[in-house]
Order: sequence, then C-alpha cells, then structure tokens
Amino acid sequence: MNDTLIIADNLSYKINENKLFSKVSFSLNKGECIHIKGSNGSGKSTLLRIILGITIPTKGKIKKSIEEDISYLGHKNALKSYLSVEDNIKLMGLLNHHELKKNLETLGLKRKLDIKVANLSYGQQKKLALLRIFMSNSNLIVLDEPFVGLDIENQNILSNFLNNQLQNEKGIIFTSHISCEIDSKTLKID
Amino acid sequence: MKYLGLELLKLRKKTRSWLGPILVFWLIMIAYPLTIEASQENLEIGFFSVLWIAILLSMMFATEDIFTEDYNDGTLEQTLINDTSFAYQVALKVMIHWLLIGIPISLLSFIFSLGTNGNLSLSLLILPFAMMSSYIFLNLFVLGNALSLNKGSVLGAIITLPMALPVLIVLGKSITAIQLEINYSGFIFLLLGSLSIIIVSVPIVVSYIIKAHLE
Repeated sequence: MNDTLIIADNLSYKINENKLFSKVSFSLNKGECIHIKGSNGSGKSTLLRIILGITIPTKGKIKKSIEEDISYLGHKNALKSYLSVEDNIKLMGLLNHHELKKNLETLGLKRKLDIKVANLSYGQQKKLALLRIFMSNSNLIVLDEPFVGLDIENQNILSNFLNNQLQNEKGIIFTSHISCEIDSKTLKID
Repeated sequence: MKYLGLELLKLRKKTRSWLGPILVFWLIMIAYPLTIEASQENLEIGFFSVLWIAILLSMMFATEDIFTEDYNDGTLEQTLINDTSFAYQVALKVMIHWLLIGIPISLLSFIFSLGTNGNLSLSLLILPFAMMSSYIFLNLFVLGNALSLNKGSVLGAIITLPMALPVLIVLGKSITAIQLEINYSGFIFLLLGSLSIIIVSVPIVVSYIIKAHLE
C-alpha cells in the first residue's frame, strides 16, 4: 500500500430506503486523479464526505494510508463573511506562508486584502477558499465542484495547479460538471 | 495557542456575540432595582436570585450561535477533518467564550453585589461562585446548542434548562450559608466538582453530536 493513498471497497450509501449508490470500488495512487461524475443527487458529494470520514457508508470500507493529511474544499467555502480577506487568510493559518504573495497575485486577490469577504463576488470568494488548497502540503486533495463560480482564466489556473500537484505525486479526487483538462480517470456513479 | 488566537480574532470582530450577553446581564441587573421599592432591605432580598438568573440568561445568549455560523459556512467540516481532536477544539471554543463573556459578567456580579449590599467580603465570595456557575451554564447551553444545531437555539435552551436547575439550587443554598455564616466551602467544592466533570464530558459529547449532525 506504499503508493496507494485510498482503497474504497464496495461502498454503498442509502438515506432511509433511498439508495444513492452501491458497490462503488476504486483505488487512488500517488500522482493519480479521480474525477467523480454522476447526475444531480447521485451521491457524488456524499461519496467525497465518506472519503473524508465525515459520513459513514451504509456498506463497504474505505482504507486510507493518510489519516489526517487531507485538503478539502466543499460546496461551502468555510469563509467568515464579516472578516476581511487578510483575517480569513490568518484563520486558515496561511498568513506567513512563503507562497502567499505569489498565490494572491495569481488569483487576483492581492489588492483585496482589506475588503470584507461579504463584499467579494462569489467567484472571488471561491478563489479565496482555493488558497487553502493551493498552499497546503497535503498528499490528498478532495474538491467538490471546484470550478463552479470561476471564470475561464481561473478555471485554467486551477487545472494547471492540479496537474502540477499530480506531477508532485499528490492524489486528487474531485467532482465537476464543468469539463476541465486534468489528467484523470473517471468514476461514474448513478 | 494558535487555535485560541484564531477564535479570539473571530470573536473580536464579531462584537455582537460577546458584548450582547454582557449587555443583557447588565440591563437585567440595572432593571432589577427599578421594579421594586428601592429601599436597601428590599433590594437585598431578591438580589442574588436575580443575579443567578441573569447569569443563566446571559450564558444562554452567549451560546446562541456558537456552532451555527461554523455549521452554515462549512468551517465545522474543515475542523472535523483537521488533525487536532475535535473535542479539544470544542473545549477551547467554550473556554474562549467564557473568558470573553463569563469573566466580565463575574466581575460585574461582584460590582453589582458590592453596590447593592456594600459588603466587600460577601461580594468577593460571589466572584468564584459567579465564575464557576457561568462556566457550568455555558457548557450546558453549548450542549443544548449542539443538540439543536439546525433547529434553532431556543429548542436547545429548553432542552438544557432543566439541567441548570440543580446549579441554581446550589447557588441559592450557598448564599444562604454565606449570609448565615455557616460553612459554605462544601458548596464551592460541589460546584468545582461538577465543573470539572462538565468541562471534560461536555466537549466529548458535543463533538459526537456535531459529527452526527454533519453526517
């Protein structure tokens, strides 16, 4: 299991009697990316939450070689709207990160540091939330619809970043309805 | 320490969360003498009952959205997957709320007590009782708030309010003991014992409840 980050074995999940997905199996090695696809309500986000350990599957097992080293960005950005961009970066523990300046410039947030998050557009908030992912050292990156709210330029920045992470032997699992150029294998759940 | 600083940063910028409960306490204590015949004797009769109830209500307000905001914006999910124990983070969060709200309220209790009865030694004794009771109430309401995380804080308060009643009884008895100059240290130890159990058990229980909510 040296190169394997995650092994999912026959995962099933149902809410009451409503089956979301069943017998989902996959493995993720270092330097690999899985793109989870499926229709609305098929359980993509739930599968991600099972991978993270937030939700317990109805059946099946998930084996992780890294227990506490996951970067995650879900539908909610985990930002405090009443705080400034800078304070939110401080909350993420990234204020003294050596790559902060570079990433703020890349994402076009450098001149927004004093602005309250509530006054940012949805796309700008998403980019701020992505800083957490861009600057983490985690071996596994889990993203739920990361391209939503981003313009084409920023979608490309994110795709390039994720491709670079794959070259650095990180593992990535993400869901997306927006097509993107990431070297990934597809996991379809219905 | 890092987490402590970050929680403080959030609370500092969200003045309503910590100043609101302190103002509620202050207003109740200011309103009390206005409702009765303002003679010294009358004031002293019901003062301590009003004081403990004011602390109880303030602590209820203090926990009103202690987890709701983090639940709604996704911070709780991030907290859950990071490498620090979730129960430990809950305990720290409660402690910071107590430092910012419980301590000022305890100090105000001392000041109001001194202003009402003019007895320094009695008022000084009020301080540890106010500090311990505020921490206990805070923990109890945190538990209620966790139970009713996505159902509104009133329900949580109703669930946990009966648990606070024994503490109110102990507080009432301790004041009687102090005023009659009989041994009151037993009450201090009783509160201290309860607090030491609550301070450990509530964060653990709350962490499981929140995990269940997020699931």
